[in-house]
Amino acid sequence: MPILHITKKQEDEETTIELVEEERLPDWPADADLAIVGLAPARLEGHEKVTGRAQYASDVRLPGQLYARVLRSHLPHARLVSLDTAAAEALPGVLAVLSSANAPDIDWYEEDKLFETTLRFAGEEIAAVAAISEEIAEDALRLIKVELESLPFVTEIEAALRSGAPKLHEGGNIAGEPKLYERGDLAAGLKEAEVVVEASFTTQAALHNAFESHGCTASWSGDELTLWASTQGIFAVRQQVAEKLGLPEHRVRVIKQHMGGGFGAKQISWKQDVIAALLSRQARRPVQLMLDREAENLAAGNRNPTRQHVTLGARRDGTLTAIAAQIKQSTGAYRTGGEASDVSAMYQGLYRCPNVRTEQTAVYLNTGPAVAFRAPGHAEAAFALEQAMDELARKLGMDPVELRQRNYTEEDQVEEKPLTLPEGLRLCYERAMETFGWSGYQRPAPDGAKRRGIGFAAHDWSAGGGHPPGYAWIELNEDGTAEVVTGAQDIGTGSRTGLAQVAAEELGLPLAAISLQLGDTARGPYAPTSAGSATQATLGPAIRAAAAEVKAQLLEVAATLMETDAARLSVRDGTVLVDGDPARSLPVREVTAKIGPHTLQGRGARGPNPSDKAIKTFGAQCVEVEVDLETGEVTVLRIVTAHDVGRIVNPALVDSQVIGGVTQGLGYGLMEERVVDANLGLVLNANLEEYKVPTVADIPPITHVHVGVPDLAANPIGAKGIGEPPLIPTAPAIANAVFDATGVRIHDAPLSRHRLVAALAGQRANARQRS
Amino acid sequence: MMRPFDFTRPETIEQAIALLSDPAAGERRPLAGGTDLLTLMKAEIVSPSHLIDIKRLPELDDQITESANGVAIGALTTLSQIEASPLIQDRYPALAEAAAVAASPQLRNMATIGGNLLQRPRCWYYRHPDIDCWLKGGESCAARTGENQLHALFGADPCVAVHPSDLATALVALHAEVRLRGNGHHRTVPIAEFFALPTPERRTETTIGSDELIVAIHLPALPAGASSTYLKAMDRKVWAFAVVGVAVALHLEGPRVAEASIVLGGVSPIPHRAIAAEQLLTGAELTESLIAQAATAALAGATPLSQNGYKVPLAEALVRQALRTAVEARR
Repeated sequence: MPILHITKKQEDEETTIELVEEERLPDWPADADLAIVGLAPARLEGHEKVTGRAQYASDVRLPGQLYARVLRSHLPHARLVSLDTAAAEALPGVLAVLSSANAPDIDWYEEDKLFETTLRFAGEEIAAVAAISEEIAEDALRLIKVELESLPFVTEIEAALRSGAPKLHEGGNIAGEPKLYERGDLAAGLKEAEVVVEASFTTQAALHNAFESHGCTASWSGDELTLWASTQGIFAVRQQVAEKLGLPEHRVRVIKQHMGGGFGAKQISWKQDVIAALLSRQARRPVQLMLDREAENLAAGNRNPTRQHVTLGARRDGTLTAIAAQIKQSTGAYRTGGEASDVSAMYQGLYRCPNVRTEQTAVYLNTGPAVAFRAPGHAEAAFALEQAMDELARKLGMDPVELRQRNYTEEDQVEEKPLTLPEGLRLCYERAMETFGWSGYQRPAPDGAKRRGIGFAAHDWSAGGGHPPGYAWIELNEDGTAEVVTGAQDIGTGSRTGLAQVAAEELGLPLAAISLQLGDTARGPYAPTSAGSATQATLGPAIRAAAAEVKAQLLEVAATLMETDAARLSVRDGTVLVDGDPARSLPVREVTAKIGPHTLQGRGARGPNPSDKAIKTFGAQCVEVEVDLETGEVTVLRIVTAHDVGRIVNPALVDSQVIGGVTQGLGYGLMEERVVDANLGLVLNANLEEYKVPTVADIPPITHVHVGVPDLAANPIGAKGIGEPPLIPTAPAIANAVFDATGVRIHDAPLSRHRLVAALAGQRANARQRS
Repeated sequence: MMRPFDFTRPETIEQAIALLSDPAAGERRPLAGGTDLLTLMKAEIVSPSHLIDIKRLPELDDQITESANGVAIGALTTLSQIEASPLIQDRYPALAEAAAVAASPQLRNMATIGGNLLQRPRCWYYRHPDIDCWLKGGESCAARTGENQLHALFGADPCVAVHPSDLATALVALHAEVRLRGNGHHRTVPIAEFFALPTPERRTETTIGSDELIVAIHLPALPAGASSTYLKAMDRKVWAFAVVGVAVALHLEGPRVAEASIVLGGVSPIPHRAIAAEQLLTGAELTESLIAQAATAALAGATPLSQNGYKVPLAEALVRQALRTAVEARR
């Protein structure tokens, strides 16, 4: 019997129990002779995807299916005075209309409703229509008569905090309690400091812009609901939708086979899941509700904008004596519960420092609600902290990497626990610098107005260690193939393949013999949401445990067949081998065929993370840029990045995550910015034309230097997550390189053309004044 | 989402023009590449009741033809064709360069030069479905006091939007003419007159009649010693409208400038000729200090809004670079 770890948790007035089963597995040490883990086989779903057969949320077509569209507020803050849907309901082809007038009383966000009568951002849901085509649904929206009374609004953090600012909620514009953290004595640390850097930074609201928008298809069979949803967490959607609709969770089935990206915005269930379910129940037909790009960018999450005031103190030798950060961030009009944006954490944890104080305040604004976005909080913090560290290194006359190495920590200073892989970040520093040629960098001579420079940034990330519990089942078929089932999801990262490699490795089967099933709450055991870079690190060990259980049974059967001791047997490449007797091998399928129609089955659980150590992931990036001093054009020439991701199960998948993350980080650093007109309270670029994401021409060669040291104190396969980390240091590394090239430091993200040109022109004007 | 409309594919240009000039039948629009019109319709900025397909009219073509007095470009010629034309690359490099940096390859394969000149501004207030901007018939311009970092430095009253076309900037510098055909008439207008600042009565950037079609663009023959170039600053490396675009065309006689055109894009509702800078160069020897003076002169009189002052040094820098490039290209 596995050991059960039962933890009682008390939050507000609610008691919950966290239950994690412990299953002991022997480690796969760094020098383990692994046959499949560590290789880069093609993605299992690759053929399905390139032939267009892979089914995404919007590909679902059910008999009689309807299409839904949502009417949204065009004002940033308004009271719904009246609503008349009669003409929309009467339009031929319209089968259901839902609004505050007829929707069930369903709570949403903190103290609000599914359809609010106080609308707090442009894009908030007013009504929804299901019709036989999207066009008719859209026509019906135009027939809904809405009278809104405009209310005063505020869309900027500073303005929202002023006295007399328009209030979003009864309690004011501060969302929740400000988070204060202190260790040591900050004042004493600053007094001890011989050099101090103090600076303010701002980071922008960024939009996820996953290829595939949010959306789902809902279908009822009696009182059972099936949702095909574009989500990072099928069990999270199941729980949230069941709760909103007052159903037992097992009456809701959530399916998601393939996904065109989520980046955090799909880690919660948004209103469209429940709206589609209600419309479907009303119309007695399946209903598909996909958001269009504009709705996606208004009402389905964003990376919170921040204001950060940073103070660093150090002794002459570079030893940090004080770190302080005052952080204001906007959660938008509502707290979704999925923001997960702990901007303070990097200040508290990345560098060894006895005296730290962080203060973090979330602010409501009349803009769309914020939600986690690939390393939430850390990407924002890195932009400020890593530029401040660069500034400090320059003040000290010290190499910026040397400064970081001087302040190295091998523990989680908040939890006061050692790290599971204390050398992780150090290896990232060393590998990135070495491959980049950091120490010996020779700056090329200026080319006209063009100047070159290099920049460095590091990061920690408080996730990547996996989120137990998580489970898997394995059935070894009579033909020697294995069916691996888990309730996890592959959100486009290639989790299917990485997890199947773990199963194949432990079972001793070729990868082709593994069928990995996921993405269906009715077909697999619980697995956590694919967020926090958790999937491989959570489900890899669970699948391995299930495989070990099946393998043990297989070897018992084989031992009987082969008239030997099971302890002498092993499996490799689909064949049972006898230790010391290579002539006596037996294909697995000959063993499994002998017990048919019975099959061998195993169940595996992900054990708990260590309680005496802290798991983190780390990375370091070196960037070279060229800046045209006259036109402000920034060209990123190359990026070298190293990451402590533990054991690399599939280098191609890990490289893909790194390249994608760095690309998104480059967009965050150089061009991506949601623009809101503060006078109108409207988003001006909720589209892919004016909201600029990087193109292939913007992306330089990205070199991922593999660290790949298995973190066996974290879990017995030694793998950690890589989904989020690569994005974190890119923007500050670019900003530091721009400073190195030009002498101009940009404190406001992104480093877009208008900021660069203005700053460079200011620098020239100052130089003229001085001379 | 786009509203329903009727669609007609006429056989002849006369039929097309007759359809366009029928005042009884609601708002009608010619459709060629559709790369701008369809985006306007999807955002419901315009909702024509009738589209007239002009892509297959025998009188309109996609040919680039040379004659003694210059080069004619048929109205249906795509940006890709212009970008790839050896004739345009050789004689009118500013135009080939402008075509090459416009939009994306997919868009350039669809977009025609006629439609390119008629495209509407990308101003995010104009394009926003919920903003009642002046150019769309509203009372006032929200961009003037709002997020105007991408907006105009010149001619910005009453509309502060900038003209989005890269090719238009180059064509004004190259003194192109636009050949138009209307209901019973033909006319040819210098491109500088084809564009005109919007007025309360005509809230568009062009003087084309609602019943007229562009038939061709004509580029005058060039003297020896002519060279031209187009430079563009964008918010990313490709596939973005110009933050600032600069087209320069020079006729050099020995070391002296016989004639100079300097035209700025992205700074005015229509392509902006920097006449003072052109005059400064004419007859003079093109030294580095004169280049710097010309760049300053090109932006003299600019009236930046609250957030677009950076466009002044940016445009000056591009003018300097473009003048140097044009001189080098000729050598």
